[in-house]
Amino acid sequence: MAENTSRLQERLKIAAYLLIAGLIIEVITLYWFSPLSFMLFMGVSGTLVGLGIIVYLVAIVTA
Amino acid sequence: MIDHAVTILIVLSVILIGLLIVRPSLTAVPGGKILAFIALFILPITALALGAAVHLEDAKSTGFCLSCHTMEPYGKSLRIDDPTYIPASHFQNNRIPTSAGCYTCHTTYTMFGGVKAKLGGLRHLYIYYLGTVPTKLALYDSYNNRECLHCHAGMRVFEESSPHKEMRAQLGTNEMSCLTCHNKIHDAQHVDQMKLWKGP
Repeated sequence: MAENTSRLQERLKIAAYLLIAGLIIEVITLYWFSPLSFMLFMGVSGTLVGLGIIVYLVAIVTA
Repeated sequence: MIDHAVTILIVLSVILIGLLIVRPSLTAVPGGKILAFIALFILPITALALGAAVHLEDAKSTGFCLSCHTMEPYGKSLRIDDPTYIPASHFQNNRIPTSAGCYTCHTTYTMFGGVKAKLGGLRHLYIYYLGTVPTKLALYDSYNNRECLHCHAGMRVFEESSPHKEMRAQLGTNEMSCLTCHNKIHDAQHVDQMKLWKGP
């Protein structure tokens, strides 16, 4: 049980780091007015946030 | 305005996510589980959706299109001090929203016109950063009268004036292009030799 909880928390941490990185990049792109910022938003921020959400969902489903 | 709202939302998300990193034991209780769901799922998805909306709206702006070096002469051509130049006269007289000058005339007014314009923009980005920009730019397809008629159709000054009135059917079906007569457009190659309007 304790091992399960600790694994869940570990996965939640990974999801949290991915989401924080993605969201910070999103803020940067919002204030950087360039066509590249759109690519960065879609490619990097979107991927990190998407991965973070997937890791979170997998963590709670498999817990 | 909306970008500030998205920023506040993101800051809130980051604070809550940070709290879960510092205190992972919070997720052991029901309230903590709800907090985790909001911080790790609801808020990031909302921030991503709103961020996409902001970026897509920004992509319509004249400044966004002109931020590519290749488009500079086209931007300048909006300031040609000659009312016979169609893009310049539209831009300088607010016949189009000046904040979305390029998009207003170069999107297609069809169901998925906006999506098509965005995909075209992505293609331009790829060519600009990773490909070879052609020396002479050209539209992918001939300019469709539909884009002009989106605003001009139904305008009394257009519908009742000659020769529009006589050739209205041909204009509607693209048998006759608006640009056949209104053929002074961007002229980007000669814009540096032209007198430019210094207005706002």
